[in-house]
Amino acid sequence: MNDDELITVLREQRGKVVMTIPVEQIISRGRTVRARRRVPVVASAVGVAAAAAAVAAGVALPVGHPAVRPSGAGAPAASDSASPPSVRLAAWTVTRQADGSIKVTFRQVSDPAGLQQTLRADGVPASVTFTGQQNTACQPYHVSASQAFWPYGSRPGPLDGSAFINHPEGAYTTPYAFVINPSALPSGVGLQIWTSGTSGAADNFQLHVTLVKTSPQCTGSTSS
Amino acid sequence: MRAQQPDFAEFYRAAKDECLFAVLMSVGDRDTAQDLVAEAFARAWASWPAVSTHPAPAAWVVRTALNAGVSRWRRRRREVPVPDFAIVADRPAADAAGGGVDPRIMAALSRLPERQRQVVVLRLFLDLDTEGTARALGIAPGTVQAHLGRAMASLRGELIPIWQEESRK
Repeated sequence: MNDDELITVLREQRGKVVMTIPVEQIISRGRTVRARRRVPVVASAVGVAAAAAAVAAGVALPVGHPAVRPSGAGAPAASDSASPPSVRLAAWTVTRQADGSIKVTFRQVSDPAGLQQTLRADGVPASVTFTGQQNTACQPYHVSASQAFWPYGSRPGPLDGSAFINHPEGAYTTPYAFVINPSALPSGVGLQIWTSGTSGAADNFQLHVTLVKTSPQCTGSTSS
Repeated sequence: MRAQQPDFAEFYRAAKDECLFAVLMSVGDRDTAQDLVAEAFARAWASWPAVSTHPAPAAWVVRTALNAGVSRWRRRRREVPVPDFAIVADRPAADAAGGGVDPRIMAALSRLPERQRQVVVLRLFLDLDTEGTARALGIAPGTVQAHLGRAMASLRGELIPIWQEESRK
């Protein structure tokens, strides 16, 4: 038996196994995979299910995310040297972009007070809690997803989750990000950023971004 | 995205069995192989705009499945003993492979070094050419040929005596 005959015998084995999983099941699983990468997908589902409800974007945080500590509670570990100004921590980064929007990138949910202070200093009324519960003082601002999130509404909306769209394969290890357009925030409206699920169980909690009415107890101010 | 789903379904129907076979030949257990291939196809669907333009999407699926298998094994190796391929191959063929795949071929493949086995899977079972196999594995074409040559020599040495013995009976 020469190599060609051996190859023929090996290839004859093909066709003796059949993948029995229907394509619908694959696509269903694919949707889950994609939803874990992209905020807009989740935001859309929320918007369709509850058009008049407050908009929330949820995204599962990466499995086995490295436990990177911010180097100081609320204090910048490093600042981006480039203008426009930004504050960068190991856990999250807040960057003011050239068009005036503010990009928030998460690597880990920690130092909520620092993030809240940073956003407020940038003119975004915000409440940030990473305790697994919302700030009970915050009242939701009712708006449909299409009014809040680009690309589901006309640009510019207050929040832009499109930063999630182009995540490469292996997105579970890349940071999550969204963009706030402060100029598109309605008067008297701010953001609530919070986690649900079990803190520390990285596979089982979500990060939410919700539009809320401003108040001293919630966002620290009464207007945006 | 919706307009691309029919293309994905067509790709899935055309490639699912050969991808399963290729991964099965590498991991040796049908259930594990099917899980890995299903997950890889799901990831392909999630990234379909990019994967559909890949020069060899089936190879992408197989490599993704095999990489996931390596990750899974690394996660579990301290908790769950890795199945002995020889034991798997000694099971009745229908049980081991979910079809009539020759368990001796699976056992012989299992004894190849990992890289040689990957080359055999892509080059012979997915019909990639040398260049395509090299690109899929991130190695030089000459290395593909070298691995394939060594793999064929090993398979010849292991399988041909068995078949010759059978033919004499």
